[in-house]
Formats: sequence, C-alpha cells, structure tokens
Amino acid sequence: MIAMKVTGKFKPGGEVRRAMAAPSPAGPSSVEHQVDLQLEDDETLVARTQKGDSAAFDVLIGRYKERLYATVYHMTANHEDANDLVQDTFIKAFKSIESFRGRSSFYTWIYRIAVNRTINFLKRRKNRNQYSLDDLESSIQTDPDLVEMMSHVTPRREAGLTELQEKLNEALQKLSESHRAVVTMHDIQGMTHADIAKVLKCSEGTVRSRLFYARQQLQGLLSEYL
Amino acid sequence: MNCQKAQRLFGDLARERLAPELAAEVRHHLTDCTDCRVLEQRAARLQRLLALKRYERPAPQYLDNFLTEFHRRLLAETQPRMGWWQRIDGLLSTGHTLAWRHGFASAMGIILAVGLMWMGLREANDLGSTDQMAAANSPLTVTPVGASAPQSSPLTAPSQLASMLPVTPVDYESAPTESVIVPSPLTRTESAAPQYVLDRISVTPANYEVARVYF
Repeated sequence: MIAMKVTGKFKPGGEVRRAMAAPSPAGPSSVEHQVDLQLEDDETLVARTQKGDSAAFDVLIGRYKERLYATVYHMTANHEDANDLVQDTFIKAFKSIESFRGRSSFYTWIYRIAVNRTINFLKRRKNRNQYSLDDLESSIQTDPDLVEMMSHVTPRREAGLTELQEKLNEALQKLSESHRAVVTMHDIQGMTHADIAKVLKCSEGTVRSRLFYARQQLQGLLSEYL
Repeated sequence: MNCQKAQRLFGDLARERLAPELAAEVRHHLTDCTDCRVLEQRAARLQRLLALKRYERPAPQYLDNFLTEFHRRLLAETQPRMGWWQRIDGLLSTGHTLAWRHGFASAMGIILAVGLMWMGLREANDLGSTDQMAAANSPLTVTPVGASAPQSSPLTAPSQLASMLPVTPVDYESAPTESVIVPSPLTRTESAAPQYVLDRISVTPANYEVARVYF
C-alpha cells in the first residue's frame, strides 16, 4: 500500500534541491511512508526516485550501504576511504538515476558504479597504501575454518589474528585492481561468476581467468599460512 | 581432463557450484594426479583464509549517520550551482533555524558591544585632544616661585596635576624671589598690541537713562 502520492515530473536539479531541503521528513505520515517504502522492491523504489520521491532513494541506501561498504572496504583496506567511496557512489547514483533504464538490476548497476570508482581510486592511490582495518568480530574465534587452520600452524607460522588480518590485507593489496575486485566479489562476498561478469561488463571466462591468476599470486604471497 | 582445466575448477568445486558430471570428472582427476591434489588442498585453504575477511566489520554505529552524511554531501556538491536565496531556504528548512537564531543574536551582540566601546574610546580621545589644545592655547604659564610647595587639591594627585600642567622645573635656590612669568611659545610679545575679544565685537553701549513716559 502506497501512502504518498507521487506527483510532478522528475527534474535532476530540482530533485537534488528537494532532497536537500527535506532529507528525512518527520511526522507520522512520513514514518508510515517510510514503512511502506521498505516493503517495495528495487524497481518500484527506483521509479519513485525518478519521479521525485527522495525518501525512496533513502530506502535503497539503507538496503545496500553495508554490502557496498564491505566490498569497497575489502578492496581498499581502509574504512575511511571505503566510507567516502560508498558515499560518492550513492551521490553519483542519485544524480544519474534518471539515466537508469532498468536493463540490469539496481544492485548490479550501483555495484558497478562502486567497483569502477574504487578501481579508479586505487589506481590514483597506487603508491600510498595506508591500512586502517576494521575490527574483527568476536565470533571469528569460533569459526571452524579458523580453528582448523590454527590447529595446523607450526611455531614458525604461529600468528595472532591481528597479524593474520594484516598479512591477508597486505597480500590482497599486492594484487592488481581488477584481480582484487574479482577476488573480493567471489571469494569474500560470495558472488557468482555471472553476477561479477555483469558488474564488470566482461565475460564469465574473463572472470574465471582473473580469479585463477589472482589465486595463484595469493598462494605465493600467503604460502606460510597454507 | 587435463591438469590446467582441473585447476581452474578447484574454486567452484570447493563451493559446490559445479554441475554433478563436471564435479565427478574433477574428483576423478584428483584421485589420479598428486600434484593437482596438493594444489587443490592449498586452494581450499586459501579460500577459507579469504573467507575470514568477512569477519572484518566496522563498529556497529559506524554507518548509523550514513544517510545524514549523504544528504550533507549532496547539499555541499550542489551548493555552488544554487542561488543564494535557495541555499538560505534550504538551510532554514533543514532544522537549522534555532542554531541560526542563536548565532545571529550572538553576532549582533558582539557587534553592538564593539561599536559602543569604539564610540566610548573615540569620545575619550576627543576630550583628551580638546584639553591638550586648551592647554596649548593658554597665554601664560605661571610658575609660582618662592612660595611653599604647591598645594594640591585633595582630589587630584600631584603627579596627575603635574602631567596636566606644563610646569617648567625651577631651581628654588637660585631663582629670584619675585614671580617669574615664563612666556609660552604661543604667548604674544609686548611689541604686538594686545587684542581683546570685545575689540572684535561691536557692542552698542547700553542706555541707562530712564525712558520718557508719556501719559
């Protein structure tokens, strides 16, 4: 049930100003409106945003910000950069949502924006790797894979979790931007080859090939932990 | 199946994303090829290691203000293209009115206080310059000689009095006993005829005769 009637034609400039003027409308009716929007699918929310309902875009942000943050963070290994890049991604998406024709899903579209912006950022940042790593969740201690790995460590390879985290990030940062993007999306985020191919606008074969070479490089870099 | 093809499929095999027939083919190759078996084990470990990165998460409240920050950045990015009236309208309508009021009132208060202080200082300077001019224009500077120590007013400190009057220090022992009139630089000399204020004013003398009264 849609509580708010969307009127008026979408105008990029006007929409931006309206969104700025009322970032989060207050009051009971707006709360109901937000609740209604939460139930809508991406296509409807995009259509509403295109018609000038900025609250619909807020719902899309809430829906994808964490996933996008995680992807960008794993590529940059710096949470401030990741936050900036995800903010930029949503701003870029909001400004150009009029050009979104729905040929791919909104998720693929915004993911593509985020990954491309991150790759460009990493190319610019080439010689300036500054890690500011997110904290590890306490539940990692009970992860069966970690327990299994730690049971195999020799005194020479024995490492704390923080050291392991740092080594892992260092190794990932040594990959090329495109290889890092593929490893992040596939091995960390768990996306399929087909989805990655759509995001990167390449064939599945290219994705598989990049994954193969990236893993070979990582095996060499992390040999003492394997 | 050759080694190269099998090695490309290790990742999918570990994630169980291969078709059953293809998975069986890869497994069959692994039973025969020791090198590939070792590589497969290393690949599986690498995947488990990479999967640990999922536990890296920002602090729970890190993304709480994400939406607010998004709107702030959007405003900042589009601000240069907006007219000043639209910017003011936007700011006023985003709940900053109270903060603006307080800021505006504080600024006006400071400006008022500074203005009053400046006016007060200016008046004080004007008064000071008037006194100096009056002192400079005084025709004579009289220095009492031979008298006892100059008596000061109970309300005026001697040092203040000294600073107000241009008194020339006098040697009381060698000075003559009569008063000495020290001409100031602006004092007229005797060669010049003295001028009085009334000289320059034509005043009709008053008539003190009793007016005639006609009945």
